[in-house]
Amino acid sequence: MLNPLRSEAEAFRFLIYVAVTAIFIAVVVLVVRALT
Amino acid sequence: MEAASIRTSDVHHDDSHHGPPEANRSSRVEPQQLGMYLFIISEIMVFGAFFTAYFFIRIVQGNPWPATGTELPKIVAGVNTAILVSSSFTLHWALVSAKNGNRNGLKAGLLTTFLLGATFLFVQINEYVNIGFAPHDSAQGSIFYGLTGLHGAHVFIGLTLLSMATIRAFRGHYSPEEHRGVEVPGVYWHFVDVMWIVVYLTVYIL
Repeated sequence: MLNPLRSEAEAFRFLIYVAVTAIFIAVVVLVVRALT
Repeated sequence: MEAASIRTSDVHHDDSHHGPPEANRSSRVEPQQLGMYLFIISEIMVFGAFFTAYFFIRIVQGNPWPATGTELPKIVAGVNTAILVSSSFTLHWALVSAKNGNRNGLKAGLLTTFLLGATFLFVQINEYVNIGFAPHDSAQGSIFYGLTGLHGAHVFIGLTLLSMATIRAFRGHYSPEEHRGVEVPGVYWHFVDVMWIVVYLTVYIL
């Protein structure tokens, strides 16, 4: 299981996951706002 | 008197250890790592308190965000976000270089990370100067400066740690076997970046 506090490598992977999730959320919200 | 008459052959002489006995350790986690764990967990709670205030005035009270008549510089902050996230890549490169014995990569990675972090902080301060509202103007302003300022303080702490790691790297410290001095600040720096992504998403985008 990913533990971002265990090592720098895992923290970096966690950062990538957070960044990808944030981009996805931002795109969904902006598209919904544009359509409504 | 009996205690004083212990034969010298019974006394264990450990020539390799000097000073007081080592402290008892009840955790399997390294003390330095455990310290960083507890520190980051407490930091998440601090940010949680500020996010609670943000969601309270925006969701519970239904106030407009940002305050009426104000605007947040999304593009500039977006570029700044890219700068900060890229600094995590350079830090990861620095640590991979340290593990592979690539000293030039370690030094270049740490120095680049420091410069990118300093650029982020400089742009953030410049944003405060030009944004057009103050913390005392509205609840939204207070939360904006509180959240971004709290994060900026963490970037400053991270830069202090990175400057120490960078100076040590240029002095020849760290090796493929011993690089905790980069590993632990690295975990902290990635945490600071993760927090900024959350702050940018909630404060600027949503």
